[in-house]
Amino acid sequence: MSYQFRSIMLGALTLCMTIGARADAFDQSVFSFNGFGTLGLTHSSEPLADFTSTFFKPNGAGYTRKWSSDVDSRIGGQVTANFNKQLSAVLQVIVEQRFDNTYTPAVEWANIKYEFTPDLSVRFGRILLPIFQISDYRKVSYAYAWVRPPNEVYTMVPFANNDGIDVTYRFHVGDVINTTQGIYSRFHYSLPKSIGGGSTSAENVSSLFNTTEYGHASVRLAYINSKFTTTFPGLTLFDAFRQFGPEGIAIANKYDPFNKLMIYTGIGATYDPGKWFVTGELSQTNAHSFIGKKQAWYISSGFRFDKFTPYFIYAKAKAKSETSDPGLTLSALPPELVGTAAAMNGALNSTALLKSIPVQNTISLGARWDVMKDVSLKVQYDYTTLRNGSFGTLINLQPGFQPDSKVKVVSAVLDFVF
Amino acid sequence: MHIMKSIKLSILGIVAGCLSNIAMADVVVIVSAKNKVAALRVQEVSDIFLGKTSNIAGNVEVIPIDHLEGESTRDEFYLKTTGKAPSQLKAYWSKRIFTGKGQPPKEVLDTIALKKMIADNTKLIGYIDKNAVDPSVKVVLTLQ
Repeated sequence: MSYQFRSIMLGALTLCMTIGARADAFDQSVFSFNGFGTLGLTHSSEPLADFTSTFFKPNGAGYTRKWSSDVDSRIGGQVTANFNKQLSAVLQVIVEQRFDNTYTPAVEWANIKYEFTPDLSVRFGRILLPIFQISDYRKVSYAYAWVRPPNEVYTMVPFANNDGIDVTYRFHVGDVINTTQGIYSRFHYSLPKSIGGGSTSAENVSSLFNTTEYGHASVRLAYINSKFTTTFPGLTLFDAFRQFGPEGIAIANKYDPFNKLMIYTGIGATYDPGKWFVTGELSQTNAHSFIGKKQAWYISSGFRFDKFTPYFIYAKAKAKSETSDPGLTLSALPPELVGTAAAMNGALNSTALLKSIPVQNTISLGARWDVMKDVSLKVQYDYTTLRNGSFGTLINLQPGFQPDSKVKVVSAVLDFVF
Repeated sequence: MHIMKSIKLSILGIVAGCLSNIAMADVVVIVSAKNKVAALRVQEVSDIFLGKTSNIAGNVEVIPIDHLEGESTRDEFYLKTTGKAPSQLKAYWSKRIFTGKGQPPKEVLDTIALKKMIADNTKLIGYIDKNAVDPSVKVVLTLQ
């Protein structure tokens, strides 16, 4: 295993050196090339479920593999074209484990940017929504101290990249810098086969983000409003509910994530004077469906001792809506339908639907070591407590999985930029 | 006892003196001698070199230019203005580059070339070792 890991590492390093050498030739031209990557290994103590970093992945560490390199490993390359002072374009492609369990390259960013002034710009194309403080660069692990941002917060909105238009306006008041970003977009993502396939999509996503910076401090506010639809085979359950008269229709309408309003609000703050940092975020989303109303937050701090940055994270996710529902009133039904209705009520309250709202908290301890120029090595230990019968942010539940258990995760990642 | 103490003190003094010579050479922020900007504050210089602003003193456009990575003047400049060590600065620019928010300042081969570029172009701003200052450029901030 360790030999295999080392050869992958060497291969990747050789690759980035080759590409890095080529980039020099671009220096004075219109195009510039930059890349980033992470080689990661993760172990989870829970053998009957998988730990991973996003719901869009089909498996991870724990059940599928004792040690998984799929959780955090990726490599990305970006070409930036600066046609003139106003007009530029970005194309970023990432290779990582995708929903279909392949490592097919995917376009992460692809947009054209026009700067009317250095403080007012418009982008058109594929953009990552900066939902949380580090959402838009969460895949560039070299850019932050942790192994990965806390799952409690960062998996709460099932959005990745969007296609649309983005307007950014920045203004200064004394030493205070305020940046306001408005995005109008849409998205369509395929869901992993582990939940039966299907997709999640939205046609009109309106978002507003505002960042205020003063010296080493910054505060960020986020708001997203969208009408989204999620479909996967398990959701045919709601069609069955609709056959059961007004009560069934009401249940279906309440929980079916079909053309439902999803509102997300978040606030984040960071203070990073260099020698140490403290950062935190509080987020809430209401999906008006079985996906539920959720709240999550984290706080993290670290100290930088030369090349070493030890840190901790405390994160918590809770359900603000019911994670169970009485369902159809069995006593009101003809005897021949009671069995079916009871099974449907059970399915509604299962881990696939209402019990899928994560209720958990995690204490993480880790350290970043800046090994050499452009390379960092991080290790992190996460201790997660699952509550309320929830399976938290785990995926791929297997028969026999015990809710309310503790999950210990150990990860090591090697990050690099080139 | 007394002698020992004074020997210790003088060794300390020498060590401290050496250290300050190596690490504490003053870095100065410069613009063209023809530039009308008189002085800048640390926060303003930090914002300029981190790409957070492109205007100073009301509405004067500025373009920062940089030394090569690994130069001691560069490491000292960024530590004193932004509080960032080289790897933190690299992390900062990684997040800007890969979110399409911008590229770091262009790098110039050496101090002589950098000084000449700044002397000739009133839009440019840079930093050099205090000992390299000459009348073609104007010091707008001294970092001690």
